Amino acid sequence: MRARVVWTILRREWMETLRNRLLLSTILIPPVLLTVAPLILAGAVGDRALPAELATQVLRQKPEWGAFSPGELAGAFAVQQFLVFFLLMPAYIPLSIATFSIIGEKQARSLEPVLAAPIRTVELLAGKAIAALVPGVLAGWVTYVAFVALASVVYGPALFGVVTDGSWLAGVFLLGPAVGLSSVVAGVIVSARVNDPRVAQQIGGVVIVPIVGLVMVQATGTLLVGPVGYVLMSLGVLLISLVGLRVGVRLFDREAILTRWR
Amino acid sequence: MTSPSTEAPIALRAVGLGRRFGDRWAVRGIDLDVRRGEVLGLLGPNGAGKTTTVRLLTALIEPTEGTASVDGFDVRNRPEDVRSRVGILTETPGLYDKLSATANLDFFGRLYGLDAAARAERIERYLRVFGLWERRDDVTGAFSKGMKQKLAIARALLHDPSVVFLDEPTAALDPEAAFIVREAIETLRRAGRTIVLATHNLDEADRLCDRIAFVRAGLVMVASPAELRGSLGQRSLVIRLASGPSPATLEALRGLDGVGAVDAVDGVLRLDAPDPESIAPAAVRALVTAGGAIVEVRIDRTSLEQIYFDVMGVRPGADGIEAVG
Repeated sequence: MRARVVWTILRREWMETLRNRLLLSTILIPPVLLTVAPLILAGAVGDRALPAELATQVLRQKPEWGAFSPGELAGAFAVQQFLVFFLLMPAYIPLSIATFSIIGEKQARSLEPVLAAPIRTVELLAGKAIAALVPGVLAGWVTYVAFVALASVVYGPALFGVVTDGSWLAGVFLLGPAVGLSSVVAGVIVSARVNDPRVAQQIGGVVIVPIVGLVMVQATGTLLVGPVGYVLMSLGVLLISLVGLRVGVRLFDREAILTRWR
Repeated sequence: MTSPSTEAPIALRAVGLGRRFGDRWAVRGIDLDVRRGEVLGLLGPNGAGKTTTVRLLTALIEPTEGTASVDGFDVRNRPEDVRSRVGILTETPGLYDKLSATANLDFFGRLYGLDAAARAERIERYLRVFGLWERRDDVTGAFSKGMKQKLAIARALLHDPSVVFLDEPTAALDPEAAFIVREAIETLRRAGRTIVLATHNLDEADRLCDRIAFVRAGLVMVASPAELRGSLGQRSLVIRLASGPSPATLEALRGLDGVGAVDAVDGVLRLDAPDPESIAPAAVRALVTAGGAIVEVRIDRTSLEQIYFDVMGVRPGADGIEAVG
């Protein structure tokens, strides 16, 4: 694989993304909302305490929060729910970019001239995958850093400690990119089969279902995933993504694109 | 039309080339040599296998049997070398509509490994050649079909390929856009480019090609337009008179050496002759002597369209094209 060719593909993908207002809005709006919303929620919780039963359940899973005041415990629990939302960005953004990119090329029939150039399909796929993955992962990371900075300024050291513990770091910096990769793979596989980016996003959105499940178990307080849990989930998602990648590479075969993609 | 020398090196060769999709052979048994500087037309109806042939020859898809080479590089073993030596105009321009003309060409220049200076020089050269320089910063989504097609041709030439493949370059274009694109191809022909032109436009093939390969799931025949007319076509001398000819006039014409059948319809005489140029003076003298008032004299050749129907074994019937024989 030649880095020069991959960079050429990647560069053009980003040039097109920057000129696609619809796509750009789907990339830029969620990070802003996800930075502000948790802080507003934590503020809304104020000094209100959690119901006693839930507080006991939370402290059983997070004994390190035992020193918090009732108000801090409620704020920490509320903010903790938002960790999974930082996983939605690396899931949703790459999916949008990958589906727009591949289906856009299908509709414009612009892949044939590219494939007629001395380029390997793996280089083409790598360029497209990286171009889709990087903005999503970076958006997740940048948003997280902004969120941590704002949280520490507004709510002080207690909440800062919550959003920078091992769970958050493993979730944002390990599971996030792994989810992003699975999202790109889903985008490639689905886009090879359908001709409408919106349909592809809806089908590819299946990737988000496990994350929504994670939200629900966290919200009920029945399972607050720790750092080890996030590392294990990252490895699992990575493994699934690599298997999916093999399928994606096969679907992205030069002859299949030329003779079967319509 | 200046044909390339038979001594010119072979740029493109196919030997027993064939491709099967499932149980169906799209093309089979293609044997072909194209010399440097030659313009070869691939002529055939929709679905005849022209695009498949182009894709095989450009190493876009692998042959099921046989082989092909460009500048000696085999499409099976050295596909990347083949692709770096060919330029292709695909059936649709396939441009990036949100990017400018310059950005489109720059992307492909990078893919073909041209350095920044070469890209800048060639992008300017080809945009000027095709009259797009003033629109170089406009997004191609705002271009007309003809402009898009010209830009796609410029893209195919950017890396200075050994062979240029043009797949249906004027299909789906309005007459004005088609004219612009044909002029562009004519420019390439005059510049001595080796071109393979896949088309179902008979006039286009007749005007632009040194040789024409009739394709129908394989090669049916390869010959120059002149050879096709010589071997398959009929030629005749057509003389239009101010009034209908007298029986004596007709008798005089039929007695001339080298003249076959003589038909007269509404004052127009058609003299079948293998060499109409040589009998024209004698025919005109005979008519003047017989008192005929000549309005027009011309040599009529069988159209490529008629030859196409003969070669392909089809004839235009009342309800469309039907196969014969």
